[in-house]
Amino acid sequence: MQEIKRKYVVPGDVVVEGNFRPLMNVVRTGNSIISTRIGIAESGREGVKVIPLSGVYIPRVNDIVIGKIIDHSSLSWEVDVNSCFSAHLPAQDVFGRDFSPARDDMGRFLSIGDLITSRIIAFDRTRDPMLTVQDRDLGKVQGGELLKISATRVPRLIGKRGSMIQTIEQATQTKVLIGQNGIVVVNGRKPDGVLQAIRAIKMVEEEAHTSNLTQRIKSLLNVADPQQTEIIPKPTTPQEIAQDSKNADDVQSTIEEVEEEIIGEVEKGEKL
Amino acid sequence: MTQTKNLIDEEGKRTDGRTIDDLREIKITVGVIRNADGSAFIEFGRNKIIAAVYGPREVHPKHMALPDRCVLKCRYHMSPFSTDTRKNPAPSRREVEISKVMRESLEPALILEDYPRATIDVFVEVLQADGGSRCAGIVAASVALADAGINMRDIVSACAAGKVDDRIVLDVNDTEDKEGSADMPVAYMPHLDQVTLLQLDGILTRDQFNESLDKAIMGCKKVYEIQKQALMQKYFGNETELKEEQ
Repeated sequence: MQEIKRKYVVPGDVVVEGNFRPLMNVVRTGNSIISTRIGIAESGREGVKVIPLSGVYIPRVNDIVIGKIIDHSSLSWEVDVNSCFSAHLPAQDVFGRDFSPARDDMGRFLSIGDLITSRIIAFDRTRDPMLTVQDRDLGKVQGGELLKISATRVPRLIGKRGSMIQTIEQATQTKVLIGQNGIVVVNGRKPDGVLQAIRAIKMVEEEAHTSNLTQRIKSLLNVADPQQTEIIPKPTTPQEIAQDSKNADDVQSTIEEVEEEIIGEVEKGEKL
Repeated sequence: MTQTKNLIDEEGKRTDGRTIDDLREIKITVGVIRNADGSAFIEFGRNKIIAAVYGPREVHPKHMALPDRCVLKCRYHMSPFSTDTRKNPAPSRREVEISKVMRESLEPALILEDYPRATIDVFVEVLQADGGSRCAGIVAASVALADAGINMRDIVSACAAGKVDDRIVLDVNDTEDKEGSADMPVAYMPHLDQVTLLQLDGILTRDQFNESLDKAIMGCKKVYEIQKQALMQKYFGNETELKEEQ
């Protein structure tokens, strides 16, 4: 396993000194890498990043987001994705390449006020996010209870390999749809289950940084935990949020050598 | 400015009992406003100030947006009840100026290029004023910005120094500001070692100026520790070090 050092940082704090690769929420000043957000800094072989604990949603390519149709022109829908940038869903994405504004009625598929699950296919600093619904499980949201949580809490709500959300879904017999932008839709047959799931999600949001959250969610939802008496629950401080968002780490460790080469190349590039 | 009475006694104590190198008591609470993206409440001596940050969010009106970076808007406002005689709630010349210098003192710390076509709104509301409210406002605004999760190069800290009874003192209060002979608010980024605001009201010799600036920066560094502690307290509780996982 590779060695990852973690620590709590506020903006301006030096995360690490030396020639490391800045990955996320860090900037290089001279020889040191400094944090730009409040959060948990991780410095490993692949680079340095800070997992933020606060902030609004900023779109990223390939994020799955839940958005609301707020307007449409003759060629695209305008979608509110809970961000400072409003997203666009081109009509061609829904009707195919031979879409004609004169022939096809856009209101037939989506109308103002509808919710959609979509993926961001393009976004950079010069253009607003562009969405697609052409994928499995994407498209119009048929119904459910809508709630908003902070986008920085989404990894915590999902939990390690989806553990948290699975616990909530199974205990309340609901289906929970989570967008990376912090929009959550809860579906369920029993209204009580839905209400209970919403209560649990709100608790996760409010207490995301506290320890032992999974256990408390389980007791809120009256889930019998056979392991409870045998295993002492692992301390889950804010670092678990960090843990949640590094699912890809196992893969990373197997490709360490490749990483080293890449870092080498980057260094070379910088010198040039 | 003319001085009418002794502001420092024979024992070197000032009107509120501090020595010339003492700061007033500072208390910062982070995240006091639920509706804001980030907020802070500061008690800087007898100053009581709330700062709230909204954003990055959409710019209104749209034509104000900049294509390459974020627009930072600052509003410093004193409540009608913040002073002993009622203050007219309409923005005064002084408030407009302080809003401007506050924006300019925060701007260098923010990475505004990360949020093109958006805006960040900073509201600073003075609930009770006691001299040095622009410094206290900057301190609170900076903490609120960090709380809002906006990318920052450093946290901006601020503190004033001044000349009272021909001596350079740290953190002038209301009486010293009015009766003393000079007041110099300084905003400073401790990690980057850069000054982002320097104003001076009064006359100082070159040596006095240097002493004043050094003293103000020393004060800023002390204030920074309090800012950092307040942020840490909100996000990590009493833990300061991350416990390594097994």
